[in-house]
Amino acid sequence: MKTKKINKNMVTNILYPVIFGAIILILCQTQIMHKILGTDVFTLPLPSRIIEIISENIPKIMVNVKATLIVSVGGLIIGSLLGYLLAIIATVFPKGGAGGLSVAAAFNAIPIVVIAPIFNNLTKGISSDASFRSMIAKTLVVTVFCMASMSINAYRGLNELPPFSVDLLKSYAAGNFTIFKKLRLPNSIPYIFIALRVTVPGCIISGVVCEYFAEYVIGVGRQIRENIVTAQYATAWAYITVACIMGIIMYIILLIAENVLLKGRKS
Amino acid sequence: MNKAKKLLLSKKMIILYWVLGLIAVWEVIASIVAVTKRSPENVLPHIYQVIASVFSNTMAGPTKTITQIVISNAGMTLWRAAVGFLIGMAVGYILALLMSLFKTVEKVAFPYLMIIQMIPILGIAPIILAITKDIDASRIIIAAILTFYPVSTNVLAGFKSVQQEKLDLMFSLAAKRKDVYMKLMVPASMPYFFTGLKIAAPMAITASILVDTLQGGGGLGCMLSQSLKHAMSIYVFWQIAFLSAIVGILSFCLMGVIEKILSPQRKAKL
Amino acid sequence: MTEKMIKQQDFEFVEKDFSEPASTKIKIKIENVGVKFQDKNGIEPVIALKDVNLAIKEGEFISLLGPSGCGKTTLLRCIADLLHPTSGKITIDGQSPRDIRLQKKFGIVFQSPVLYEWRTVRRNVCMPMELLGLPKKERTAMVTKTLELVGLMEFGHKYPHELSGGMQQRVGIARALAINPELLLMDEPFSALDEFTKEKLHVDLLRIWRKTNKTIIFVTHNIQEAVFLSDRVVVLSPRPGRVSSVVDIKLPRPRALSLKNTPEFNDYVIKIRNSFEGV
Repeated sequence: MKTKKINKNMVTNILYPVIFGAIILILCQTQIMHKILGTDVFTLPLPSRIIEIISENIPKIMVNVKATLIVSVGGLIIGSLLGYLLAIIATVFPKGGAGGLSVAAAFNAIPIVVIAPIFNNLTKGISSDASFRSMIAKTLVVTVFCMASMSINAYRGLNELPPFSVDLLKSYAAGNFTIFKKLRLPNSIPYIFIALRVTVPGCIISGVVCEYFAEYVIGVGRQIRENIVTAQYATAWAYITVACIMGIIMYIILLIAENVLLKGRKS
Repeated sequence: MNKAKKLLLSKKMIILYWVLGLIAVWEVIASIVAVTKRSPENVLPHIYQVIASVFSNTMAGPTKTITQIVISNAGMTLWRAAVGFLIGMAVGYILALLMSLFKTVEKVAFPYLMIIQMIPILGIAPIILAITKDIDASRIIIAAILTFYPVSTNVLAGFKSVQQEKLDLMFSLAAKRKDVYMKLMVPASMPYFFTGLKIAAPMAITASILVDTLQGGGGLGCMLSQSLKHAMSIYVFWQIAFLSAIVGILSFCLMGVIEKILSPQRKAKL
Repeated sequence: MTEKMIKQQDFEFVEKDFSEPASTKIKIKIENVGVKFQDKNGIEPVIALKDVNLAIKEGEFISLLGPSGCGKTTLLRCIADLLHPTSGKITIDGQSPRDIRLQKKFGIVFQSPVLYEWRTVRRNVCMPMELLGLPKKERTAMVTKTLELVGLMEFGHKYPHELSGGMQQRVGIARALAINPELLLMDEPFSALDEFTKEKLHVDLLRIWRKTNKTIIFVTHNIQEAVFLSDRVVVLSPRPGRVSSVVDIKLPRPRALSLKNTPEFNDYVIKIRNSFEGV
């Protein structure tokens, strides 16, 4: 009887949002939504038209998706590694390190809009190839964003330990490195995922925003901007949809990884 | 002597050292840029040059100095960000309340909340503009949309984190639903609410600047893109960069200050 | 209606008189109560309680004693209407626990103090009366009275985190007493406290009980605690949770800590301990 109940719960978990989404799509497709919002098919294209555009332009879209993914995922990986490294340094030198992380936290509050042009200009001399140096600039912005978030959370994970756990290891005459390997590192893993839950969707968004300002015209974000500026709203919507799908897929991958790696940690 | 040493190693001082360190790094790079680049102020000016530009009387437009332009546009952008922030906060809180009151609402809305944060904001700007027919209104709405997500998810998490025994106590006293929320859920979820606000405040400002860049009219974002296109002095850009960074950080700190004022038990702790 | 009823009692605690014979009126009747929980992934249900029969008299101090997993807290939660028995029936003054709860006649003290950290001690104690909609004057008077009873008068304007664990638990007791409930349900209230604080609170609780004349149901896993406090100890045993014996504690009242040194006290403790070994 209970298993039936769980199934029912799971079914409604998926069913309700799907029904809601379907209603919205139908309202858009039948143009009822356009009447409610007082808009037209030009600015809010029909879902069928968006799908059409996506399916017709797959090769071109994939080129842009690839460009955005390199920037976002590259920035995510480099930023996360640097952030974790920063957290380790802050743990080794607790006196100055914690203050440094407060400064790193402040970086999160600086609008990407101003960081992006600065990095664009700074990287101008790196290479004569515009596409390459533009990519470096964008990756750096994403890196800064991911690094700040990761360093704060990883620092908490490395230092908010179960009570007496350090004392226990010290009683076995464990050195600092052993304490790090056996205690701090495993303890920080859930905190890494807390950071990733913010940075994984964030790296796509910040990647897309950087592209708005980038020197070289490529990427999903730049396509959105270009198509809006030229009033090709249907194409812009197609790229918005693509950006959403990218974010969702990355997030699902993260959730699966979390499930596998954190198995048995939570009750 | 000991006191002086303690003061020098206090947390605030260490933060100050870091800031000084960052300024030093900036200046080193700026010095390198100054010798290697043709127009160094476009790439990375010295900080004193930026500060000097604040007080200079150079005309950046037909009638205004650089600082006058930045300040008048900052007022507009920050006003829109603040209004959007307040609207987003209210709507986000109401949605969290509804999700907590009705399981069905939570099931329907929660996945879409996740999706909203994946939507690139600049993309939806023209659509909202087409609906509202007013650029300022659409800028406010976009700031609201960005605020609404972190507030909503954090408040909901706050409601869910309320200790079961506290709920049992309310139940055993046959408390009305209104009382359970007013006396327990809302005050208990306050720290989560402020976590949401601390994330949302800088985001509302970022969104406001970003959407400015898309359309004409006034606002920091417009000036920023014009300045980058060299339509006006590049120092407009640098002033905006510093101003928005400072305002972003201050907005974060402001939420923390308001939280401290509103939560009596924390004040007692101080 | 509830408001009226509470006003009638006028918030006067009626002191217990030990010279009078104890009331024989049955307050709570527990008949064939059983509780089954569904295991999380297994199909086998867990039997938390099986065929519990018990009659609790008015003004009685009764303890539910047993090791973890014996269903003592489950039984308390059933009485408090926080849980519905899968079978059997509980009546309080001939009414269902739900009716009693809606009349606000329960005072509950949990294992942890469960205080509202954003309210001062006084306002924590005040909270249940706010729910009842009592006028401010009455609330203030009652807060003062209950805080006096638990000995925390000087700490009224402190916040919970400024108090020790023992003091926090006293606030919890004061809050439970604030609406002058007929039944005081206590779920291992002292188990997280140190031995010295615990003994002091035992004496205090008996004094409060004598002054307020409540029916107290006290859940514990500590044999000495149960014997020292109670009129009767209900011994429960696990798998499935059921009543294995009920022991009348015929020790004189009022009781002082010195009672614990007497052979009579130890006899009861040994008797109850032996009953567990038989399980």
